[in-house]
Amino acid sequence: MDFSFSKEQELLRKTVREFVEAEVAPMAAKWDEEDHCPVEVFRKMGELGFAGVFVPAEYGGAGLGYTERAIILEEVARHSAGLAMFLMTHQLCVAAILEFGNEDQKKKYLPGLASGKKIGALSVTEPTGGSDLANHQTTGELADGWWVLNGRKCFASNSSNADVTVVTAKTGTDEKGRNVLTAFIVESGNPGLSPGRKESKFGLRVSVMGDLVLNNCKVPPESILGGQGKGQRVALGTISEVGRAGMSAISLGIIRACLEDMVKFAKERNLYGKPISTLQAVQFSIAETRVDYEAARLLTYKALALKDAKQRCDLDFTIAKYFSTEAAVRAAKRNMDNMGGYGVLNDYPAGRYLRDALATLPSAGTSNIMKVIVAANTLG
Amino acid sequence: MSGLKIAVCIKPVPSPDQYHRVGIDPRTKTLVREGIPTVINPLDKNALEAALQIREKCGGTVAAISMAPPAAEENLREALAMGADEAYLLSDRAFAGSDTLATSMVLAAAVKKLGPVDLVLTGNESADGGTAQVSAQLGEWLGYPHLMHACGLEVMEDGFIRVDTAREDCRVAYRVKLPAVVSVVRTINKPRFTSLMGVIAAGKKPLSVWTSGDLPVDENFLGLEGSPTKAGDIYQPDLSRRCELLEGSAGEIAGAVLQKLRAAGLQL
Amino acid sequence: MDGKNGLWVIVERSANGFRKVALELLSRGRDLAGRLGEVSGSRPGVWAVVTGPGSAPGTEELYRYGADEVLMVCHPLLEEHRTDLHAAVLADLIRERSPGIVLFGATAWGSEVAPTVAARVKTGLAAHCADLRIDGRGLLVQCVPAFGGKVLGEILCPDRRPQMASVRPGVFQAVPGDAPAGEPLVVRPELDDDDRIKVLEVQRREITGKPLEEAEVVIAGGWGVGSRENWQLLEELAGLLGAAVGCTRPALDEGWTEGEHTMIGTSGKTVRPKVYLGFGISGATHHVVGMKDSGLVISVNTNPNAEIFQFSDFKVVADARAVAEALIAELKAGKTS
Ligand SMILES: Cc1cc2nc3c(=O)[nH]c(=O)nc-3n(C[C@H](O)[C@H](O)[C@@H](O)COP(=O)(O)OP(=O)(O)OC[C@H]3O[C@@H](n4cnc5c(N)ncnc54)[C@H](O)[C@@H]3O)c2cc1C
Ligand SMILES: Cc1cc2nc3c(=O)[nH]c(=O)nc-3n(C[C@H](O)[C@H](O)[C@H](O)COP(=O)(O)OP(=O)(O)OC[C@H]3O[C@@H](n4cnc5c(N)ncnc54)[C@H](O)[C@@H]3O)c2cc1C
Repeated sequence: MDFSFSKEQELLRKTVREFVEAEVAPMAAKWDEEDHCPVEVFRKMGELGFAGVFVPAEYGGAGLGYTERAIILEEVARHSAGLAMFLMTHQLCVAAILEFGNEDQKKKYLPGLASGKKIGALSVTEPTGGSDLANHQTTGELADGWWVLNGRKCFASNSSNADVTVVTAKTGTDEKGRNVLTAFIVESGNPGLSPGRKESKFGLRVSVMGDLVLNNCKVPPESILGGQGKGQRVALGTISEVGRAGMSAISLGIIRACLEDMVKFAKERNLYGKPISTLQAVQFSIAETRVDYEAARLLTYKALALKDAKQRCDLDFTIAKYFSTEAAVRAAKRNMDNMGGYGVLNDYPAGRYLRDALATLPSAGTSNIMKVIVAANTLG
Repeated sequence: MSGLKIAVCIKPVPSPDQYHRVGIDPRTKTLVREGIPTVINPLDKNALEAALQIREKCGGTVAAISMAPPAAEENLREALAMGADEAYLLSDRAFAGSDTLATSMVLAAAVKKLGPVDLVLTGNESADGGTAQVSAQLGEWLGYPHLMHACGLEVMEDGFIRVDTAREDCRVAYRVKLPAVVSVVRTINKPRFTSLMGVIAAGKKPLSVWTSGDLPVDENFLGLEGSPTKAGDIYQPDLSRRCELLEGSAGEIAGAVLQKLRAAGLQL
Repeated sequence: MDGKNGLWVIVERSANGFRKVALELLSRGRDLAGRLGEVSGSRPGVWAVVTGPGSAPGTEELYRYGADEVLMVCHPLLEEHRTDLHAAVLADLIRERSPGIVLFGATAWGSEVAPTVAARVKTGLAAHCADLRIDGRGLLVQCVPAFGGKVLGEILCPDRRPQMASVRPGVFQAVPGDAPAGEPLVVRPELDDDDRIKVLEVQRREITGKPLEEAEVVIAGGWGVGSRENWQLLEELAGLLGAAVGCTRPALDEGWTEGEHTMIGTSGKTVRPKVYLGFGISGATHHVVGMKDSGLVISVNTNPNAEIFQFSDFKVVADARAVAEALIAELKAGKTS
């Protein structure tokens, strides 16, 4: 067992941090307040290789792995979890095409997505419930050699700014009467595809999320991703590994932000003539946050090491995601407590951390769903 | 002009945004800089950026040179990741305690060893020592013409560069014959961010370590012994003031501030 | 009189005379020479050394501020911006006349000439000294800032001569004395030029507004001022108070102020006004070293724990814009009533 990052990974973290401190940190509060999605910053991240970090060089990516992706997401989320969410959900589309696409699809879509010239999205959830994944109302029917998609998606990240969206639709039922889903790659500009309402979120703002409407949306058969009837595999495979990895990494960034701010505030804030860092209650809450950070980090990067070694890791990501997102909420709450009245002022990012942390909970599966999976696996 | 060979001097310094954490151990009277990460001196990134831009225009190679302890390998890798082609770490116990004259002597020895270099770029000053002396002294050791405060740099007809320099109340443009040493200021450019592709490429680029024995050094000016200046005591100035709070509505505060100004002797 | 063991101040010329920092150094040099006299029994002469294309008028000033002797080094090639040639003649003169101490103003010009000279005569040079004094052995103790001014270190040059130091403008005070003016000594060194360095053009920049270092009141703004619009309020307030406006580096980077010459701190100006009024400034060491000697310091910041408050006599925990507006209103009301 080797728990250390390679020198290359350390250097990568350092260079990403430099970018984030210069281009993201100063703007993060403003973007959050205005719920502004800075596409130009996304493009820059694309040029630097962030958007396609795990895409092989032959498809225009940086040729690194999911561990490096998580390092990037953690660093971005340290200052703007919302921007990290934008990047992370873009990468769900990238990962789906990379892992389930055929050669033509990879050649066609990955270079643009990996370089950040194109924005991607993965849209699965429907109003009937995200946890009840297979219960799809969106349909895909073959007519005159084209697939015609109809339905309404919700909670779709990058709904209005994506150039390439992977959507799932019900294309039939199996012998037991269960829905059979198929994933399609749909490009913006398709007259049958339009973004619906943009949701106003209280956390993870910055990242766009909203409805996506498919209205007689015609796509050619070549746009089927991962094979007809394999939509559930594409969706679940991508969300349960790449999505949960992403939410874990974003949570790590939030926890670290809380920890760093707690330490700073505790040392600067004087009460009774002494910094509050001398108070044991404050020390304990900092210790708890540190432990949460280290534990979340171990769980997350362990799962990532498995993923990059192409070993089974779905359960590991489920555990990491559950723990890390919940730990982020705890950390953000402690940071608030630590700051007393100042914590509730919008002059400080404490409130943003808490809102972002809470918003990580449902993304890529709620805590309860995570527990259902872990319990099922444990009980056998 | 095609194919300039450029050397960029890179000094690893404690991260300048954390100098509030620098202190002095009251017992040992030595500097405490624990936990402050070491980064490339910010202006040296501008120097490297200037070199990379020239290379992109005219071709050639860019070598990063650093005289520093072995750990500086990390910073040189960073320079390689940003785009330098090769890196040289000048590291030897004999270099310890060098002042600017001794430092620039070693850097000059390395430039000489690199072979015919057309242009040496440095930052105007370091963030830690900040003497702004090394570049001119390097130029003197090399016998090259040298200029400081460069805010613009352009390769001219064969063998010359145009250097725009920023002074207090004017901008002066020079034509300088190569080889030359030029130190740059912040306004010359905005250093690029390092890409992941750069990070990957850096691992494969050559990084050599040279010790004193590898270099044509002048023994009379080597290290602590050869440095004309000697460091004495260090101390931390106490700048704190008593800091009373002025409270109230904006109008009340304004009134209180103006009253303090009058008390300080201003006629308002 | 050949200046041997003397204390030299290298005087930089300006459009209308000499840079003020030279006068500051001469005044300090006069004190240092006196102290050296006490320690060693023989007081060195204080020399003002002026280089340039021809002799400069107004040398009385140099005597008045502390020079015992004025050495005028003239050559037609010694045009202001040929720092290389100024350095060359100074190095030759130093070798020839062996001064004990040589002081430079750390202007753009001085900070280029000084290290060049030091490297030529192979002696030590201490940069940007915050203080200079003479120790019990008669050595020049040069107190230099490091880490943006967070730490001060003493530098000595025990073995080699001369002992050389540069000092930023504004660190010492120019104090006129009543010494009579003398007759400057003029030397005309030999000097060659080649094609290695040539001045192509000089673009003068008109500097508007009150010079920071001369203002009684300095209004300084930082990143927390927030916008160019808000910055206008600081300018308006400065107009009402007869103040000069200074800035931190981030404010400069935002383009709210007109140029580098308005920046206060390690890489900018050192100011010591009667009153310093700071808005939206965090109090990084880099900035604080440039304003620490101000008389009264009042700072406005929304962060109750801002570092700058530690260096302030009074703090206002409030929005910069609101306070600036209130001050303007109050001053205008005062003017009309
Ligand atoms: C508190 C303190 C005060 C000091 N004061 C003096 C002093 O007054 N006089 C003196 O002679 N020495 C002094 N020194 C020693 C001095 O800091 C270093 O020894 C030195 O040689 C580097 O100088 P600098 O950091 O000032 O570089 P600067 O001259 O400010 O640096 C200019 C550029 O030179 C290049 N450069 C500088 N050092 C290196 C390097 N090691 N490797 C590669 N490139 C480099 C970089 O491009 C840099 O941007 C002092 C040291 C301390 C700690
Ligand atoms: C080598 C080097 C040299 C440097 N030299 C200099 C130098 O010479 N001079 C210099 O100034 N800097 C210099 N710097 C930069 C320096 O380190 C600091 O980054 C800088 O001084 C910080 O400027 P600031 O206080 O304006 O900005 P910040 O540190 O961003 O602080 C902004 C402040 O504004 C407050 N604020 C925010 N909103 C409001 C509001 N609405 N109302 C009131 N307050 C508000 C915030 O609480 C904060 O305290 C240098 C840095 C380096 C690396």
